[in-house]
Amino acid sequence: MKLNKVLNQDVIALDLDGETKQEVIEQLLDTLVRTGKVSNRETALQDLLEREKKMSTGIQHGVAIPHAKTKAVKGLAACIGIHREGVDFDALDGEPSRIFVMTLSPVDRTGPHVQFLAEISMVLKSQQIRDQIVSSTDADAVLRLFGVQKERS
Amino acid sequence: MTHRMTLLILQLAVILIMTRFFGWFASKKLRQPEVLGEMAAGMLIGPFLLGAVPIGLLEGPLFPLQAGEIPVSPELYGIAVLGSIVLLFISGLETDVKTFLKFSGKGSAVGLGGVILPLIIGSAAAVVLLPGVSSMTHPAALFLGVISTATSIGITARILSEKRSISSPEGVTVLSAAVLDDVLSIVLLAVAAGLAGAAGTADWGEIAAIAAKAFGFWIICSALGIILAPKITRGMKRFESLTMTASVSLGISLLLAGLAELSGLAMIIGAYITGLSFSQTDVGQEIHERMRGLHNFLVPVFFCVMGMMVDFTALAGIWQFGLIFAVLAMIGKFVGSAVPALLVGFNMRGAVRIGSGMLPRGEVTLIIASVGLASGAIGNDLFAVAIMTMLLASVAAPPLLMASLSGGKPGYTREIGREQADSVSIELSFPSERTAEFLLQEVLKAFRTEGFFVQQADHHSGLFTLRKEETAVSVHREGMTVAVHTRRDQEPFVRLLMVEELLKLKDFLTGLGAMKSPDMMGADLVMGMFALEQAGKESASRKQQTDKESEDDGNDQPSGEQNNSDSSG
Repeated sequence: MKLNKVLNQDVIALDLDGETKQEVIEQLLDTLVRTGKVSNRETALQDLLEREKKMSTGIQHGVAIPHAKTKAVKGLAACIGIHREGVDFDALDGEPSRIFVMTLSPVDRTGPHVQFLAEISMVLKSQQIRDQIVSSTDADAVLRLFGVQKERS
Repeated sequence: MTHRMTLLILQLAVILIMTRFFGWFASKKLRQPEVLGEMAAGMLIGPFLLGAVPIGLLEGPLFPLQAGEIPVSPELYGIAVLGSIVLLFISGLETDVKTFLKFSGKGSAVGLGGVILPLIIGSAAAVVLLPGVSSMTHPAALFLGVISTATSIGITARILSEKRSISSPEGVTVLSAAVLDDVLSIVLLAVAAGLAGAAGTADWGEIAAIAAKAFGFWIICSALGIILAPKITRGMKRFESLTMTASVSLGISLLLAGLAELSGLAMIIGAYITGLSFSQTDVGQEIHERMRGLHNFLVPVFFCVMGMMVDFTALAGIWQFGLIFAVLAMIGKFVGSAVPALLVGFNMRGAVRIGSGMLPRGEVTLIIASVGLASGAIGNDLFAVAIMTMLLASVAAPPLLMASLSGGKPGYTREIGREQADSVSIELSFPSERTAEFLLQEVLKAFRTEGFFVQQADHHSGLFTLRKEETAVSVHREGMTVAVHTRRDQEPFVRLLMVEELLKLKDFLTGLGAMKSPDMMGADLVMGMFALEQAGKESASRKQQTDKESEDDGNDQPSGEQNNSDSSG
């Protein structure tokens, strides 16, 4: 799957400032809603929160990957968010989360949805890249760190 | 007429029952493929052994020996042919076209080598050792060559997985190469069958013409199939019946099989192409599921009839040739696959593993032999040789492969090793086999949703191979453990996918917990049982109803137990 089909400047949220898990999820979701890919914000939010209730998607080292299967999207939708101070996301290692990758995938479509999430999460394996992302000031820089070539528009 | 039909029905009855028991014995007691048991059943009950014994009630034997090429009755043979078409249709459905179109260079080198060398050695052996065969283009020589080319991947896949090597470079290469081998040997069969029609030795011009026709038929039908199959299945959706879609697709495969035969090629090429085309549609899996039942009844009939066609007296004069041929065919396959493996970067150990992994033979060999027999290109004696070749290869290959895999040292040079050598195994243990099976099925479903092609490596072990382009994953359940085996770079993906399925399982359990207490349901059921004894049949259901209500009101389980012991005492 090509990352630049899903990722572009519009889906990079550089300055998340939500103080709770729900606020951050809503801010990320709003980024996606603005791209027009989400047909129903409420449904998507319910599905995301439902998934968090089962097990937190805050993994380790300040990375969280909130995701859900939802009827509110027709194809894979993803966005990246940065929370500079860090927020308590019930992460498995207890650290505050700073980098967020949110994916919404359609319920009944076949496609590499989990694979995409895994691929993008692997970019965040290196401490160096994580640090660079958190200190990035523009969307292009973040996209470059995820290996997305700059779009020619 | 009536007598012939009665005979056919009785024959089928005996075949169905005997193949099942022999197949069970072969797979469970001897740890051999079921096919071998089914064929052995055929040899035993066929017209050359027990089947020839006259039975008073029938005024003759159950399997009277027929004159001509085919020793069983035309009607029984027809059912066996139908079995072979179903078998190849399903093989087509199980083929991963994406891999077939895009398989790695290594796989195709091994696959090509594994076809060309055995073809040459097989034909040459016929020319050198058989009187009356003077040229490699003689129909008998051609058939013996083609018989040496087929590979059967089922056995290899099972062993590779048991040894945790299915996603190793050797494993992936063998799996890809086998796809190519299947296609090539089916096309070669079409060529050989086309030539068998021509009397005597064919010249190279004729061979080229028929080969062009076979490849042309292959390419045109595959292209049409891949374009049309999704349209057909989409159109069929309005009938809202997957069974209907499955029947129509089987009908198309019979149609194409007939067309292939009419154009002078072999029927199975049509069946295989149809399967291949439908495997690419979104309902491919559903069609496969619905064909399973048909497969379970018809395919053993085919294998059994193949066993029946072995004439032991014909073997008497030719078994020395058979033995030499079987060994030569194995050497051809082994060297033909191992040498290209060496050339594309495996070391000697890896090449030996690949060579032995390509050795087993199975259903395609049988089909080739039966087409040869029916067309008159080979006689009963060479048919028996073909069966010997298949049996020897299937029995000898597993120990060889096991031995080559032991030691666990890598079988590739550093270059390939960096690319894909690292593999990992993720295991989950559950409190019961049922929970493990439940999760296994859910995990498979999840992989399908991710676009993976899921294939059961053989129909009896809980081993599944999953493929998507270059990624190979194997999933299997052993008792209460589900294990997923994959390359290290795919590990995060597999972990994420399994987490989601575990969460779903948890959801399911929470849902069950919210259900009315199972103890109470059980008590209801047991009390209903005694109610049936106390009252007459008519009031039974009413009684159960009231029992249930009163208990619901009291919501008191011990009282239910009390009641229970009262009525029994």
